[in-house]
Amino acid sequence: MTRAVLLIGIALAIPHRANAQVAEPTKCSTLPHVLYMQVGDTQVNLLKRLGRALRDNTAQPISLAFFTSGSCVNISSFYAGSALPKSTTFQYLPSRAEDADWDADNPMHSATLSCVPDDAVVPDVGNSALFNSACTDGAAPANVQLEEGAVQAYVLAVPKASAATAITFEEAYFVFGFGMAGMIAPWTDNSQIFTRKPTTSTLLAWARNLGIPADKWALAPQQTSSQTVVDKINAGTAATIGLLGAEVYDGNRGTMNVLAYRAKGQAAAYYPDSSATARDKRNVRDGHYTVWSPTIWMDRIGNPKSVDTRYVIDLIANKPVTPAPSFEMISFIAKVGLVPDCAMAVTRDFEGGPLRLYKPTTSCTCKYESIVDTTACTACTDSCTTGVCRNGYCEDH
Amino acid sequence: MSIRSLFLALPLVFSIACGDDGNAPRDAAPEPDAASEPPCVTNPQTYQEIINACTDAVKIYKDSHPPLLNPDGTLPPLP
Repeated sequence: MTRAVLLIGIALAIPHRANAQVAEPTKCSTLPHVLYMQVGDTQVNLLKRLGRALRDNTAQPISLAFFTSGSCVNISSFYAGSALPKSTTFQYLPSRAEDADWDADNPMHSATLSCVPDDAVVPDVGNSALFNSACTDGAAPANVQLEEGAVQAYVLAVPKASAATAITFEEAYFVFGFGMAGMIAPWTDNSQIFTRKPTTSTLLAWARNLGIPADKWALAPQQTSSQTVVDKINAGTAATIGLLGAEVYDGNRGTMNVLAYRAKGQAAAYYPDSSATARDKRNVRDGHYTVWSPTIWMDRIGNPKSVDTRYVIDLIANKPVTPAPSFEMISFIAKVGLVPDCAMAVTRDFEGGPLRLYKPTTSCTCKYESIVDTTACTACTDSCTTGVCRNGYCEDH
Repeated sequence: MSIRSLFLALPLVFSIACGDDGNAPRDAAPEPDAASEPPCVTNPQTYQEIINACTDAVKIYKDSHPPLLNPDGTLPPLP
């Protein structure tokens, strides 16, 4: 009996001994050509793909180490040149040599890795997922460069159990401005209305579009991340509704539905895409879906890493870079639900501002459509009867 | 064609031009017939025209009457 008790005791002790041998966290500084980034969490899906590809970008390998926080926090920190503390945990992606099976599209094998800085660190790249002017009236410091990246739509999502398919501007005003007192069925339970913090692009974009100041959204505890909103919607009822970036929604379509939205003065409600199941963002691109913002990327003039920061930001802005990357950036942008500026037919000048017609300098609409759907554009190799042969298609300009 | 018959036919013409696929889900309200469906804009220039431009994307027409809406259709101030 004594011997049996002893063996059980040893068996119980083994896991504790194993737990005691916790590995030291990876030092970000050990990653080759590391760039520290402070970004909105709606950009994680994009950075996972780009971060993986850049690790193995032979011509110019870069390691992206990113930390997520609200857009307004990111802007004020970057303008001030504030350092993130030594205790900050960054996310990064494994190279192929480190993990050949890692796959952004495989939910079971797409987790990011963690690293910590040697000391407090000033981010090399900052990001907001809306016009910076929505967060601050102040101009960017002279040494901070701003670059518009892809367009990000924002959506209202509901559980699969919900029968709702659309919401109007007026209804959304009452749901998020009045809560249950607004009496908009089925969204009459404040505990099932999930918003974000007032420093986030997701809330601010909707705030500007609905005319509800950011400090008037405190109906229920505001969620600290997009993932918590996803979790709440997935566990929700027919009365549940939540704010998300379209990029986040697109990664969770299997468990929730997006609502079509009818803007003020609009005759019908529209999805961001041409239908509930499409992924073409056609209504964002042509102005039928109005809740969207540009993503803004910031770096600092004079940063010793500026060759790498410009390389990364130009890639995100879908600009040509030298050396040419070993991957197709527009595919990453399109597949995560973002829209490159070159595929937009409308634009706006400030958050929630009126849309106007827009013609990008060089169109990539055909290429974009070929990635997310099918395109009616003519394929080409070097010339076109009409238009310009670019990326394998005859673009109209 | 008389002026009156032309007036009656115009909404139908516009609705065809809009190219609704006819499969658009409807929320709460019955699907409007061709005569009641708002006309779409074929050559949008302004914001109001852009958001109401003709498209074959799925449209959802929703007959919505929020109880707290002011009688004139405007929104009341936030609490």
